[in-house]
Amino acid sequence: MQIISKQLINLKLTANDKEEAIRKISNSLDEADCLYNYNDYLANVLAREEITTTGIGFGIAIPHGKTNAVKQISVSFAHLVKPIEWQSLDHEKVDLIFQLAVPESSKGDEHLKLLSALSRKLIHPDFREQIRNSKTSEQIIDLIGNSLLDAVKG
Amino acid sequence: MKKSEKINIVGVTACPSGVAHTYMAAESLELAAKNAGCEIHVETQGQIGIENELTPEQIKEADVVILTNDIGIKNEGRFKGKPALRVSSGTLINKSPIIVKKLIAKLSGRKINNEVKNAQ
Repeated sequence: MQIISKQLINLKLTANDKEEAIRKISNSLDEADCLYNYNDYLANVLAREEITTTGIGFGIAIPHGKTNAVKQISVSFAHLVKPIEWQSLDHEKVDLIFQLAVPESSKGDEHLKLLSALSRKLIHPDFREQIRNSKTSEQIIDLIGNSLLDAVKG
Repeated sequence: MKKSEKINIVGVTACPSGVAHTYMAAESLELAAKNAGCEIHVETQGQIGIENELTPEQIKEADVVILTNDIGIKNEGRFKGKPALRVSSGTLINKSPIIVKKLIAKLSGRKINNEVKNAQ
């Protein structure tokens, strides 16, 4: 069971604004075959941003789309070369993006537990620091993978 | 109010999509409360369903209830008569340490007052 793969990690993403970042990440989700429909997924993520910002503070944003345009629950990670504005709750710019793709009908899915475990991990400053300092995709997969193992055990 | 020295907090978190904010808010509140030496139990109402469901005992023991107000909370009737604080999940994610600190200041005063009253 996996929700992140090397294909879904970009350690040097360049984007001028939030919409460009979301488009590029959605594209990588599409290329990794996580989506049925790129346009519908993208529209869903952007609509979610309109409700309230997903800039949760600490330099992190978690844009997410929950729609049947998603084939498989996935997390795509990007580290931005240059931090961008995300109307974050703490007014800080964002440099780490965890973009989620969740099928509308995924109730009871074990992958959801992995997402909730990752969300909880992001609250911990040491975890954020480890993610921020990661230089390779393997490190990211390892960090996220370990947090998910905890969830399965828990 | 019971005489235990620890401030006892229970919370329920929920958010529109139920996949991320719910859990971040819960974790943030738990972490802040534990760091401040409080007793803490947080129920999450996400897409997975209800997890860590609060027991009647935990609710009874609680000095304060913290509920997120992004969307409706299920079974809110359980908290009738309890002092409740309603905040957004985003506020909990970012400001739990400050919220907990303020609650402790407020509740400690009340506890001491009650104990003084009880002693008199």
